[in-house]
Amino acid sequence: MKKNKYLLLLSSLVTLVLLAAAAIEENFFREWRRIQRSARSDSGIAALQLRQIVNPSLKVADRCVSCHLGMAPGESLVRGADVLRPHKPVVHDPSEFGCTICHGGQGQATFKEDAHGQVEFWPEPMLPREMSWAGCGSCHVALGVPSQTTLRRAELAFERLDCYACHRVDSRGGTIRPDRGGMEGPDLSFTGLRGWDGAWHEKHAKKAASEGGAWRKSFSPVSEEDQRLLEVFLRTRVGASSLVRAKSVFLSAGCLGCHRVNGVGGDDGPELNAAGLKDPGRLIFAGVPGGRQVSAWMAEHLRSPVSVVAGSLMPPVLLPEEDIRQLTFFTMSLRARELPDRYLPRDRVRAVRFGEREFSTDGETLYGAFCAGCHGSDGMGRRLPGLISFPSVAHPDFLAIAPEELMQRTIEEGRPGRRMPGWLKPEGLRPEEIRTVVAHLRRLGGVAPEPDPRPRRWVSSDVELGRRLFESYCRGCHGPEGRGGEGPALNNKVLLAGATDTYLVETIRRGRRGTAMGGFAEPTPVRPALSQAEIEAIVSFLRSLEGGSS
Amino acid sequence: MPAIGTKDALTEFRENLRAAPKRILETAFRTGLPTTDRSRSTFVFGNVFLHLHSVRTHRWSLRWLTTAGLGIATLAAFLITLVTGVLLMFYYKPYPEVAYQSIKDIHFVVPTGRFIRNLHRWAANVMVVTVILHMARVFYTAAYRRPREYNWLIGIALLVVTLALSFTGYLLPWDQLAYWAITIGANIAQSPREVTDALGITEWFDPGGLQRLLLLGSDTVGEEALIRFYLLHVMLLPLVLAALLAVHFWRVRKDGGLARPDDADDILARERREETYPVFTEQPQKTYHLAAIVRGRTPAVGRGPENTVPSMPHLFYAEFGVLMLTVAVCLLLSLLWDAPLKELANPNVPENPAKAPWYFLGLQEMVSFSAFMGGIGVPTIVLIGLGLIPYLDREAEGTGRWFGGPGGWPLVRLSLLFGFAAALGVEAFAIRFGWLREWFPNIHQLAITVFNPGTVLTALYAAFSIWAMKRHNSTRAGALALFTCFLCGFTVLTVIGTYFRGPNWEFFWSPADWPGH
Amino acid sequence: MTTQVSPKRSRLDPEPMPRRDWLGLGALWAMAVSFLFATVGMMRLPKAAVLPSPSKKFRVALPETLAAGEPFVPPGRSVALFRDEEGVYAISTVCTHLGCIVKPAADGFECPCHGSRFAPDGEVRKGPAPKPLAWLKVSVSGSLVTIDEGTTVPQGTKVA
Repeated sequence: MKKNKYLLLLSSLVTLVLLAAAAIEENFFREWRRIQRSARSDSGIAALQLRQIVNPSLKVADRCVSCHLGMAPGESLVRGADVLRPHKPVVHDPSEFGCTICHGGQGQATFKEDAHGQVEFWPEPMLPREMSWAGCGSCHVALGVPSQTTLRRAELAFERLDCYACHRVDSRGGTIRPDRGGMEGPDLSFTGLRGWDGAWHEKHAKKAASEGGAWRKSFSPVSEEDQRLLEVFLRTRVGASSLVRAKSVFLSAGCLGCHRVNGVGGDDGPELNAAGLKDPGRLIFAGVPGGRQVSAWMAEHLRSPVSVVAGSLMPPVLLPEEDIRQLTFFTMSLRARELPDRYLPRDRVRAVRFGEREFSTDGETLYGAFCAGCHGSDGMGRRLPGLISFPSVAHPDFLAIAPEELMQRTIEEGRPGRRMPGWLKPEGLRPEEIRTVVAHLRRLGGVAPEPDPRPRRWVSSDVELGRRLFESYCRGCHGPEGRGGEGPALNNKVLLAGATDTYLVETIRRGRRGTAMGGFAEPTPVRPALSQAEIEAIVSFLRSLEGGSS
Repeated sequence: MPAIGTKDALTEFRENLRAAPKRILETAFRTGLPTTDRSRSTFVFGNVFLHLHSVRTHRWSLRWLTTAGLGIATLAAFLITLVTGVLLMFYYKPYPEVAYQSIKDIHFVVPTGRFIRNLHRWAANVMVVTVILHMARVFYTAAYRRPREYNWLIGIALLVVTLALSFTGYLLPWDQLAYWAITIGANIAQSPREVTDALGITEWFDPGGLQRLLLLGSDTVGEEALIRFYLLHVMLLPLVLAALLAVHFWRVRKDGGLARPDDADDILARERREETYPVFTEQPQKTYHLAAIVRGRTPAVGRGPENTVPSMPHLFYAEFGVLMLTVAVCLLLSLLWDAPLKELANPNVPENPAKAPWYFLGLQEMVSFSAFMGGIGVPTIVLIGLGLIPYLDREAEGTGRWFGGPGGWPLVRLSLLFGFAAALGVEAFAIRFGWLREWFPNIHQLAITVFNPGTVLTALYAAFSIWAMKRHNSTRAGALALFTCFLCGFTVLTVIGTYFRGPNWEFFWSPADWPGH
Repeated sequence: MTTQVSPKRSRLDPEPMPRRDWLGLGALWAMAVSFLFATVGMMRLPKAAVLPSPSKKFRVALPETLAAGEPFVPPGRSVALFRDEEGVYAISTVCTHLGCIVKPAADGFECPCHGSRFAPDGEVRKGPAPKPLAWLKVSVSGSLVTIDEGTTVPQGTKVA
């Protein structure tokens, strides 16, 4: 009997001790309590309690402000550790939106590691601090962003023309009027969203002419070219300049050629709408430098896709580290979520419902966004190990003889059966955009097309002879029956429909200098020259492949 | 109207008001401090909460070696889950997505929430462990024998209800672990289709489909399933459990207390260390005054010197001791380890491997060979087998003794050896060489249903127990062998299912070898 | 008739307890205290640590065209904002009787539940309401007004 009394006594005491330990730990040593106790403020901090920002329509209940006291609604001038700093001034009031919608993380948590989302089983860790602006992509879509070079030139133009002297953009620049207060010129941080006065140049010029003084000294007329650049600058001011810059890099690396974003792009690779929301629990981090961060994985994926995704067909992105960083930054911003109507931003509605383009529709941007990934940023094609080579599309020898119809039709319909997709589709480009791309290619090559007096089809020659010659001289690169190999497929119906006979003959005759296609009008050490008749025979043979399967 | 010579009404009123506190206590606790045998008897007998207990307890029942307090430990674990469960109901919301959020809130924000939730989870697991150990104890001490056969059946029912409670609770967090575990469970419920499909009769007779539909309320695991499981978990099953518990305890009383060997008094006399005085040194003609209405067995009848002690306080010390020990253990576990919570349930992303709760993993291991046999067949055989034990073993030798009966500990030892060897052997064979479908791809499903590691193991165990029966010429020996083999098989299969099965239920020596993820 | 029992004890005597059963009593008290501690802890659970309602402090932009004395009620909030030449002020529209939301009317506020009437400055004109409508703490920065529903200020406090 005594044993039972000892048992009861001991286990009761142990229970008491454990309960007391739990109570003390919860009521005194919780991290958020310690942090709140250490905070000082002039108005006196309200009671030690959990604080949260609640927004039911956004499904947000963020308790970050229990530790980040300086950011809690209504708290101000909180002094103490770094964690107590107030939020940087931003457009969206954290008291209304909460924290996780921009920063990610686990809002309901009240422990640091859990709240920052860096725990197992939480699929959305917080964005790294240097990538905080990627959070804008949760809701917003920047519209009309140009290529990297154009944007850079636009930014430099705004600097060079000294617009910052009077105008404030993203907390930079602007001067306060000495006499009346207020800024000299309006804040231009959000012209991309709110619009601007189209007649600004005339008005500036008129004011400079009439007012004189500081006005006359600081404003001089702006060239047409520069005006266009400034328009680009204004169009891209949406309050997130670093993100827009990153997007311009994205639009110059040709990613949309294979990937779809917000319904526009190719389908060789996966859709990227939720690329920034990848669950780190489902990624393999072996071989990724920088720890178990989604952004590190993303960067390594760009550098060497096949080493992080087994069996990936994506070629490595051979750009400098800075561009890789920008591409990672932009991809992390691809994290759009479902939103209630009240919170849908106008830019997203314009993009998703009214089809307004996220990219500028000039030739350089379109080419950079859709074509540069395969055809090279200079249009001279790419050759990647393990993949078929992508032809040069801005080669001078090509542009000199390529008929307009061939170029337009190839881009519109693609080369069925081969890697080139047709781009005239809802997820692709519009006819006028394709025409812009073709014009851009001609500019890239810098060669005007030669006039061709002959009719489209004028060759009529011996098909059998052509076949034999083809077997000897062409099949090695262009494959049996012209199916394609190292060189493009010649039996392709789009190619043959769009090409004139002159084009085919001249291509064989002249070749493409600097590529593997030599000009067959000239002999080489390993083969003789082909006569005009022989070349025409080959062309007849190629024409005989029309109507066959590609 | 006050009588002449007594106080007037106003004075009466004042005096009554002043004496009220003391009187309240006196009328509530009428028997006074239980310091005499009579007052102790009345204390237990007359108290609504305590009178399920006998007024006197045999000293044998209070021995640690008799029961190890496992029954009380199970009850204690149940009480802990009950109390913590009710507290969790203040905040838990039984609708998909919202359920997950509410558990997150309980963990992060609710005062003491994390602690209470951990306690609930750990106490539930402790309850399953102790209920199995309690069943083993009752079996090995042959305490199911006459007149306690029916109580053994009630105990089996309690085991099933305990597992059902644990299973229904498993779904409530609505995380990946919960969702896919219950998806598997529901598909196991559907496994009779394996047989009806093979026979081609599913169209007319589909008990599998019906079971799954009743369980889920829909054809997928969704909000209907969640609300059903919630109802079962917080109301129906606890009520059923409480009712069965009441019968179980009442039966212990009616069956004359805990089972004792015939020579219990002699053993006690040898072990005796404390002074205790005998009561009822003469054979009483009747028991306590009121209890004389009921004819039944009491510890006092038919024996010589009494070896009972008042339940108040001795039995209660024992019960409270076990209760507090269980509480302390559960508290310690809760403070050290958090209850698991994975990502929000995602029907598009199956967990791989998707594992049932640990006590069903042995079953799932068998299910990986044959859904019907593993899910329904073998468990039914096991339950029926367990239920029949007291009706097949009607011997009397060894009741109340550990490993009592022909065969004894040596037979149990041999059965442990055979049980582990057979289970490990069958598993090793199946893991190394595969099973029928790998060698004969076109073999009829029924062939596998009939002949698979689960049935093979069952047959081996049955054969062994028949051998033991013949060898010792005793049904008890057969029962000892079979039950021990069952425990071994359960352990081996559960351990393999827990630690050695990875994605696609393939065998891996360690989780480090699992591919990907 | 009793055997081997010392003459002092009989059937109904208590068990020999020459000393107080410290062990037993101590054990029981330890158990009771630990249960008490646990109960106190558990009773803390139902009191919610955070309330699932939006913060009491919030910001709105007052419409430019708001006339003096014209109320502006931010959607979803039980506050009426006013601006006149002295400044901005906020009056709570929670009736002081039993908590219904009062409606701004031409001559102040009226409560639909039991007919209380309030003057434009919140004073009770008629009805079961015991106290005037509360004036809430307001702070202004530019065109944005921050209202703190949790803090009341004396009647007549206007912030420029």
